[in-house]
Amino acid sequence: MQLWMIVGLTLLYLALTGNLAANNVIAGVLLAVGLTALLHPDRLRINPQQVATSLWALLRYGLVLVKDVVQGAWQVARLVLHPDLPVTPAVIALPSQTESRWATALSAHAITLSPGALVIEIGAHGVMYTHVLEAHKAEQSAAELQRLRSELLEKILPDTPPVRSEE
Amino acid sequence: MNTLLQLLALFAVIVGTIFSMLGVLGYLRLPDVYTRLHATGKVGVFGAVLLLLAAVAWTPLSLGKALVLIIFLLLAGPVTSHALASAAYRSGIPFARPIRDDLAADEAIPSANENG
Repeated sequence: MQLWMIVGLTLLYLALTGNLAANNVIAGVLLAVGLTALLHPDRLRINPQQVATSLWALLRYGLVLVKDVVQGAWQVARLVLHPDLPVTPAVIALPSQTESRWATALSAHAITLSPGALVIEIGAHGVMYTHVLEAHKAEQSAAELQRLRSELLEKILPDTPPVRSEE
Repeated sequence: MNTLLQLLALFAVIVGTIFSMLGVLGYLRLPDVYTRLHATGKVGVFGAVLLLLAAVAWTPLSLGKALVLIIFLLLAGPVTSHALASAAYRSGIPFARPIRDDLAADEAIPSANENG
């Protein structure tokens, strides 16, 4: 988590300053490390082996997400333009298939981001109650997609607290 | 290069506008609050993101700032949709012609820690 915070803060700094000169990059990294150290003084550690796995998983996750969003947008566009409006709305229970709280939250975010699916509630053990526009299509693909998503998210966020910590 | 950017901007503006319009059309045609959220919340965000991309290609807006804006939009959009849907469900607004409702079947409310 700490490493992600440093990387994220640095990227945010670079994006906002719009200047990729070496001294600006160094300033960004120093600021990010400083901020992270201030916020989590006891947990600042970096495992170089994890970085490669995490970044690769992040890239794949991003691509899956983009594909999802484009597909979903197309699906909703088709439904809305159809003269009969052939929606078959349903609420399906979709297990998050992960123990991590962060992965569950981010999965719910990804599902809600893709048009055609919308997480209404998260129940016990991370079951996501998802409202879908086309029930017959969603049921086939949603669980499989969620397996891929949770697998990637667990690689991206290796050391996050589990959902059932209190049990 | 300039022509390419211009074409890119043109494409993004057209597709972005079409999707924004589809969001409005969906809002008008779909039957209830949950299905309408699908159209406005997400398709609308898709349109806004494309318009931002067009702005990057054709105005002095820097790519970094646009990316930050796009990321914030993509982060905030689903959260709003979820919050609205959750609030609607908790205030008891019914689903229009649902073919299945696992949420009612499980009677799951996040605060209740029942098993299943």
